Amino acid sequence: MNKSKEKFMAAVFFASALISILAVGLICVFLFVNGIPALFKIGTLEFLGGSQWSPMDQPAYYGILPMIVGSLYVTAGAIILGVPIGVLSSIFMAWICPPRLYKWIKPAVDLLAGIPSVVYGFFGIAIIVPLTGNSIVSASILLGIMILPTVISIAESALRATPRQYYEGALALGAGPYRSLFYVVLPAAKNGILAAVVLGIGRAIGETMAVIMVAGNQARMPVSLFKGVRTLTANIVIEMGYAADLHRGALIATGVVLFVFILIINISFSALVRKDRG
Amino acid sequence: MKKIIISLLFIVLIASTLLGCGAKNQGAFDLEKEIIVVSREEGSGTRGAFVELFAILIKGDGIRKDLTTKEAIISKQTDVVMQIISSNKYALGYISLGSLNDGVKVLAIEGIEPRTENVMNGSYPISRPFIIATKSDTSKLTKDFISFIMSKQGQGVIAKSYIAISDDFQNYSTVKASGRIVVAGSTSVAPIMEKLKEAYMQINPGVVIEIQQSDSSSGMQGVIDGNSDIAMVSRELAKSEREKLTPIKIALDGIVLIANKHNPVVGLTREQVGDIYTGKILTWGQINE
Repeated sequence: MNKSKEKFMAAVFFASALISILAVGLICVFLFVNGIPALFKIGTLEFLGGSQWSPMDQPAYYGILPMIVGSLYVTAGAIILGVPIGVLSSIFMAWICPPRLYKWIKPAVDLLAGIPSVVYGFFGIAIIVPLTGNSIVSASILLGIMILPTVISIAESALRATPRQYYEGALALGAGPYRSLFYVVLPAAKNGILAAVVLGIGRAIGETMAVIMVAGNQARMPVSLFKGVRTLTANIVIEMGYAADLHRGALIATGVVLFVFILIINISFSALVRKDRG
Repeated sequence: MKKIIISLLFIVLIASTLLGCGAKNQGAFDLEKEIIVVSREEGSGTRGAFVELFAILIKGDGIRKDLTTKEAIISKQTDVVMQIISSNKYALGYISLGSLNDGVKVLAIEGIEPRTENVMNGSYPISRPFIIATKSDTSKLTKDFISFIMSKQGQGVIAKSYIAISDDFQNYSTVKASGRIVVAGSTSVAPIMEKLKEAYMQINPGVVIEIQQSDSSSGMQGVIDGNSDIAMVSRELAKSEREKLTPIKIALDGIVLIANKHNPVVGLTREQVGDIYTGKILTWGQINE
């Protein structure tokens, strides 16, 4: 009796664990089944390399190069702005911060992670856009803020995981506290911090709502840092409601491209983490 | 404790610097600055009507080309359009008259203010009709719902956010109907249809009205195929559709050009709007020439 109960519960746990795998699998199947035929119909080269996107015109053009480049620009901008701030704050939080202050900083960072992206978007429209316009810069600043919690929390735990002896050893050898931090502790936590950056990239490239509200969403090759840009995610969300047939397929194929990006990011993340442990 | 106070002061300092920059933005209007063109996304009913009314759309046999400049900022929502315009001095955009608020400045077209009465008497040229289309042999219940929409009560509901066809209508008298009506079609018409449905179902609790949102064309196809009773349409009917369905204009929706409150321009001509949206006019200064 008891044994069969055990077995039953084990099966329940197993099934629960399977659900996420199943969900990922179903999403993959959906994406590829709906996206790949459109990709071939448009032509892989025209789709990935075409710089004109006008799906509702006749004849229609389905080139997503502007959106790929747009996503890369905005993500790079977010990393350039967000990573230094994030890494420096994580050093502060893990090593320097007095516990009394930590009590305030940590919840603030966690709260930053919990703010819905629409709220970030409205913040962006109200505060950032009046200064820098609907542009790559605005989107980068906003995303730079949005990736902070991801970067900070992962980098912080990587820094906390470095043995205290490294730091103390450096001090014993005559290095000052900051020299010890930047030349000994930081390099020791290198992989963990890289993993934080990679996850930050993943967060930035996948962000949709906030970016749509500040980026301008022009479907053409980026021309200037102070002009607008459309990202892959924005392209899907803006047009999904009206799309039919090949247009719909093209948007799902855009999702495939995004999915491949995220896949690459996640694989490099787990590679980094494994290297860190091994 | 001291540290906390210092960091708080620092935050206040940063915030005031940011706000200070924002305040600087309210300086003189520079006519040499580029017009920040704001448009809706392709497929949006408002954009569809806009590009057609200002001849920004080329349409022919198997050819369709939306000439809206690629530099236009694309916004998916009306409130975001208004937010961009109110926070950017050099921006220009368009929205439905029904969604207008006080945060932005309305531009006259050809010297005519887009006011409700001007749209109603046709002097403000930039409007589109909201239409419902039915088969001629539609059910008694559907006819009753339509008679409600075209009554004083129904048009009163419409006039709260859009423009009624006329203010001279009969009172609606209840028949205590019951049954089910399926309404399908344009997403632009759907919000006002929701309000009409609520008002009608309050009078006739026995009636269930189902509203399906797709677009004008598939809404009409649904009625022709017998899957729905009433089609919501936000454009004029094509000839083939007119042969099978009876259209009834239920409301008018003006499309208004909006600019920032600090913009000195008070009005534009149709041609200027077309030229701005196709990228031929680039700066605000070019408008006064």
